Amino acid sequence: MPQDMPPKGGYDAVQYKRNLPASPFRPRTLLLGMGLIMTYGWYKLIKGIREQNEYAREKMWSRIHLIPALQAEEDRDLVRRHLADQAREKELLGENIKVYNSDRYVRPTFAATPSVTK
Amino acid sequence: MAARKPTFNQHVLIDTTPLPDSIPKVKELGATSAPLMSASFFIGARCKDYNDDFMQCKTENPGKGEFECLKEGRRVTRCARSVIDDINKSCLEQFRTHWNCLEMQNHQLWQCRPAEWKLNKCVFENLGLEKTIPDQPKNSTPVHLRPRQIYANRMIIDKPYIPGEKQPASSS
Repeated sequence: MPQDMPPKGGYDAVQYKRNLPASPFRPRTLLLGMGLIMTYGWYKLIKGIREQNEYAREKMWSRIHLIPALQAEEDRDLVRRHLADQAREKELLGENIKVYNSDRYVRPTFAATPSVTK
Repeated sequence: MAARKPTFNQHVLIDTTPLPDSIPKVKELGATSAPLMSASFFIGARCKDYNDDFMQCKTENPGKGEFECLKEGRRVTRCARSVIDDINKSCLEQFRTHWNCLEMQNHQLWQCRPAEWKLNKCVFENLGLEKTIPDQPKNSTPVHLRPRQIYANRMIIDKPYIPGEKQPASSS
């Protein structure tokens, strides 16, 4: 049996090169452009973050100015409830029992629901 | 399921016993969050001393401040109330515009700058109270006076009102 031989004139050339078009920019230009875009982005980001910090500061101070007024109102309400509780206790039990071993005011866990309030 | 009638018990949960007569009465603020936020810097400008007094009293009486600081608390409330009353008297329209704007814009102050500038102008001219935000960086414009707010949804056409600076004659 005759041996299988290459075709006459040899094989065609194997194409191993890719004939892609070269990049329109040189690597250095590309790097520079990327750097510029990044710089712009960081600039905007930092500007935005600083503005947000100022907004937060503004909000904080608006609250700080309000807190005493809100707290005063709440305190008056707590005192009113506390005194009413004490009076009710005195009326029902005859004396005020000291519940906690300290002089601190403890915000009540349970609210009394008097059936008749004036 | 829905046959049961809704019953609310909140009205019986409130103890309505008033304060005893030995404690002087004071009229409460009675303003909701948006008007309070809108007026907060003016309250801070006028009532700083009372506020500081009250907070100092609370700090010095830990655990008993509710009872010891009633007097300071009344002063704070009276002062804050006077500010809101004064704004209502002289700048009602601008005040309302601003806090309605705040109400609509999720209480974001930067969305309401034009309304705020008008309110600031009116309040400064009538009551002499100025909005200042402490502790801001020295080298930049205070955030409430910047003509451009980065995060605002709408572009601002108005000019900020800076107290004490000559304003160009502008309508409205």
